[in-house]
Amino acid sequence: MNRTPLQTATLKVDAATIRAYAELTDDFNPIHLDADFAAKTPLGGVIAHGTMSVCLLWQALFRSFGDRAFDGLDLDIRFIKPVRIGETLLAGGEPGAADGCFDVWVRGDDGSDRVVGTLRPAAGR
Amino acid sequence: MNAVAPSAITFDDFRPGTVLGETSEVVSDTLADHWQRIFGRRADDGAGSAAEGASLAVVLMMRAYLRVVTPRPPGNVHARQRFALQSPPRRGEAVRSVVSCAAKEMRRGRRYVDLQVQGSGDGGRAIYTGQLSLIWAA
Repeated sequence: MNRTPLQTATLKVDAATIRAYAELTDDFNPIHLDADFAAKTPLGGVIAHGTMSVCLLWQALFRSFGDRAFDGLDLDIRFIKPVRIGETLLAGGEPGAADGCFDVWVRGDDGSDRVVGTLRPAAGR
Repeated sequence: MNAVAPSAITFDDFRPGTVLGETSEVVSDTLADHWQRIFGRRADDGAGSAAEGASLAVVLMMRAYLRVVTPRPPGNVHARQRFALQSPPRRGEAVRSVVSCAAKEMRRGRRYVDLQVQGSGDGGRAIYTGQLSLIWAA
């Protein structure tokens, strides 16, 4: 069993990144794009799209195993804290308790988790 | 701010086990270019790789959800994401994404809705199964 941590991937999340991701996904929810609207919500400001972090995890996985990691995989994550505009995200993971699984995370500038969960890639089996 | 349009889909409207609709979309050069604008165009960024394909599978899931489940009340929160990738979609492949309501539940005063999106490609080959857990706003 592979006990090596995943290689990491980073992404600077600025307004242009969020706008580009909105165009990619067709998700123009004002919570992602309208500072005035977002400020009045319980989240208190603009946040990035959650699945942006999934794409970053895929980059970390690709750097670790290449294309073969994507020949069947299972991901289960929770979005536990919003990603704010201006942050630089870091995605990675460590081998988990279950054979072939990784405990994955995406962290913000302050080092706290934004996304946590488990990933079972084909290459880890 | 939290006013709900009369036609917005509410928690009460969801019926677990029912198909809500479907989309069909080609994994186009335009989508790939959009992804590369954000995540990079170099080989070690994953440009043109299975990582790009896996990302575009996630993108297709989101686009299907957003097109089928509309109009939505403002303020929904994406709480959890499960995603099984059977095989990354290929550039130029048409992917059919079927959106259904998997479950709904009130928990600690919050309205949780689980939507399943199942993607299949050429010849019906399995691409992905995504399950979005959303805290529904109304």
